[in-house]
Amino acid sequence: MTHMLPISFSLNGQTVSMEVAAHTLLIDLVRGRLGLKGTKRSCDMEVCGACTMLLDGDPISSCTTLAVDVDQREVTTIEGVTPPDGLSRVQKAFVLHGGLQCGFCTPGFIMAVTALLKANPHPTDDEIRHYLHGNLCRCTGYVKIFEAVKSLAIEHVSEDAA
Amino acid sequence: MSNPTDSMSSVRPDLIEKVTGRAEYITDLVVPGMLHGFVVRSPVVHARIVSIDTTAARLIEGVVDVLVGADVASFGRWGVVLKDRPIIAIDRVRYVGEPVAVVIAETVEIAENAAELVDVEYEELPRATTIREALADGAPLIHERHENLEDFYFKGGARPTQNSNVFHTYRSSVGDVDAAEAIAAHVHEDSFTFPAISHFAMEPHTVIADFQGDALTIWAGAQTPTAVQKVLSRLFGLQLAKIRVVVPFVGGGFGGKASVKIEPLVAAASWKVRRPVRVAQSISDSMLTCRRLGAEITIRTAVDAKGRILAKTAKLLLDGGAYSDTGSAVATKSANRIMGPYVMPNLRLEASAVYTNTVPGAAFRSIGGPQAVWAKESHMDNVAAAIGMDPVEFRLINMAGRGERTRPDLRPLDMDMSELVGRVTQSPVFETQGSNRRARGLAVAATDPANTPIANAIVRLKIDGSVSVSVSSIEVGQGAHATMARVAAQTLQQRFSAVTTLRTDTDIAPYDWGTGASRSTVVVGLSVESAALDAADQIFDMVADVWELPKDSLTLVEGGVSTGSEVLTFHQIFHRALGVDSGEVVGRGGITPRSKKGALAESPLFWETSAGLAEIVVDEDTGQIHVPRYASAADVGRVINRVAAEGQDEGAAAMGFGHALFEELEFDDGQPVNATPIDYTIPRITDVPPVFDTILVENGDGPGPGGAKGMGEGAILPVAPAIANALFSTYGIRITDLPMTPEKVWRALQKRK
Ligand code: FES
Ligand code: FES
Repeated sequence: MTHMLPISFSLNGQTVSMEVAAHTLLIDLVRGRLGLKGTKRSCDMEVCGACTMLLDGDPISSCTTLAVDVDQREVTTIEGVTPPDGLSRVQKAFVLHGGLQCGFCTPGFIMAVTALLKANPHPTDDEIRHYLHGNLCRCTGYVKIFEAVKSLAIEHVSEDAA
Repeated sequence: MSNPTDSMSSVRPDLIEKVTGRAEYITDLVVPGMLHGFVVRSPVVHARIVSIDTTAARLIEGVVDVLVGADVASFGRWGVVLKDRPIIAIDRVRYVGEPVAVVIAETVEIAENAAELVDVEYEELPRATTIREALADGAPLIHERHENLEDFYFKGGARPTQNSNVFHTYRSSVGDVDAAEAIAAHVHEDSFTFPAISHFAMEPHTVIADFQGDALTIWAGAQTPTAVQKVLSRLFGLQLAKIRVVVPFVGGGFGGKASVKIEPLVAAASWKVRRPVRVAQSISDSMLTCRRLGAEITIRTAVDAKGRILAKTAKLLLDGGAYSDTGSAVATKSANRIMGPYVMPNLRLEASAVYTNTVPGAAFRSIGGPQAVWAKESHMDNVAAAIGMDPVEFRLINMAGRGERTRPDLRPLDMDMSELVGRVTQSPVFETQGSNRRARGLAVAATDPANTPIANAIVRLKIDGSVSVSVSSIEVGQGAHATMARVAAQTLQQRFSAVTTLRTDTDIAPYDWGTGASRSTVVVGLSVESAALDAADQIFDMVADVWELPKDSLTLVEGGVSTGSEVLTFHQIFHRALGVDSGEVVGRGGITPRSKKGALAESPLFWETSAGLAEIVVDEDTGQIHVPRYASAADVGRVINRVAAEGQDEGAAAMGFGHALFEELEFDDGQPVNATPIDYTIPRITDVPPVFDTILVENGDGPGPGGAKGMGEGAILPVAPAIANALFSTYGIRITDLPMTPEKVWRALQKRK
């Protein structure tokens, strides 16, 4: 019999309490039982960043995170950073600068950039590249992704608009 | 370097869906009652299957069935050029990774666990894992006989050599090469190799198949849905109209999802259990599904005393892997693409595709192009050095001009190659501080896209002025759906936001050859344009009829038709003409080789051209190549969406950096060495040049809407030879086998000392 464990965590601001098998991965829980499919699975081995979610605000690979490990913590997915109508400033910058093509890597990039700008609103060029080193994209060649992030890094916004 | 001018109202709607995570990909779809399949793969290189025991796997709770070769042997083999492929291995496996069983279960987890219990006994056979081994005397035959499917998908089929591993040879000859070489001032020959490379689309291959009686529905990330339809129709004996292929958003293709891949396998699984079955591969599985063809190339050029090319000879051997797929077309194209934009009065080309016991080769962005251009453009610099001429000068004096033919059977060049060279050499990125003019290398490419001029489109204009466009082009990130919407909007003079391009579904969309070879914008774009004109014509007919006006006095305006003196809304027109307050006109447009008075018939439809200039710095202690600056230029005729067009070229160039510097799918005696996303690396953000210039040349001289040419493949081509040429001119070393890894560069530097 699979051993089930009770967990309770915040998912995009809503409390979720449920029982999960000890080996259930966060990505499977979120995409499967919780039905939020915006997060994408690609490498499944923590090398591509497609499955990036935020755990207490920090980016993590949900493909290698156990669901039980988010107990009592805060999980944010692409659904959680998308305003009810319209786009977040990060999403808008990606759209306007063409920082995506097929879009499969995009939710992961949006999560990573959202976390980056929260921690460091005005990153340098090197800081941007370093921070996004773990997010792979086979389509864009990164030029327009970089331009999108750069446009945000040099923007002056009031704290609460971020 | 772009300055986004598009406001939010005119951005591609697909981008909004993708950036919010709402876009649906194949892995996000759920079909009610769907089971999950897990593929058991061959761990051996070449072997006879002695037995497959599935008893233990079937006993696991939740396992519904296991598909093996014996179930489907009677369906025979399939292919798109040669009929060489079983649905699943029957009595023999030909490469590591070949599917031998599919465990079908209630959940993926159960299927995966039960797959471990499938017991397959193999008896190893002699193997041929490289081009050399496959061509050796007495080499084991990977396929005993070759069955050509004449006129199945590509016209002409393949030219196999029976009783050998050569499944296709293409030859082309012009003039008298021997005579030209005899009188030449210099004859220079080089050899190059090019490795197998993984497509590495971020979304691995996934297919859902649902067999219901004599009908079959397939959901797949397929680039060529009509090819999938055709193969499945033949295999399972179903009418084309009974096979529906639905393609949601595709998470990257690059050719790896073109033609037909795992669709027959998943369809067979569903056929067996009579329920929908989904197979979602991992990236590692996809690396064992297809890859770019590796190559061995010998190229020779004869020049006169002034440095003019008298003759060119090239022999290309391509490693096609265990099954041919479209490898024959790749070989043919590699021969055409090794010519380049030069005048060569005498020419002898030969390209062969060879079976080996490795992962099947497949189409990949600019088929045969990177292999050919790597050899040809590295060779050009070697020839220039041998005759003591500047490599740029050597290219320029040999370049074919606009309107000149590089070979009598191909359309004349439709652009000025020297303009592209000028644009990259004058790029502002080389004016920036610290730039070193001596550390640069140039390469150019002119390729002939196989853009079959056959496509259809349906454009429906509704009473409220909204428009739907239906085409078989898939949306793989290139923005094809938005481009089609833009073409319809412009032709009908309606707002972009009023136009919707429908998700690709063969039940709705009319026939088209497929998405690839840079063809959608031109070929499908033209059919959308003509469908929109047809819809407009029908509206004009109604107005002319009811209002008794000459048709040529009518023009479309937003929301209706202008008669010159007043604007009639579409609603008024339908109301008066048909006596109803609802309806639509259905415009149909088609492109065939006979369209436009035959102007589309000559091949290629347009030339896809590019130039690249790389500046490099090498760390002589480690051999690591850095590319601080790169300029890429492409002739695109006319840009329909600048951000998307630049992005296509940047993506292609970045892929070129991977090809140039580190990408190689390695095999050791047939065993894949690095077929996992951990061991195989694609470029990261830190691997692309920090200073990058994307130049799009627009002369409005293409055959597509507004003078557009297709694009998206050219920019990958110059990257590797440009870097190699910079290495040659600056450090005096010539690397002839890709990728240019630090180790190879370091060794070459040591040898030079
Ligand atoms: S899917 Fe999790 S890091 Fe790639
Ligand atoms: S947009 Fe396709 S992988 Fe990034």
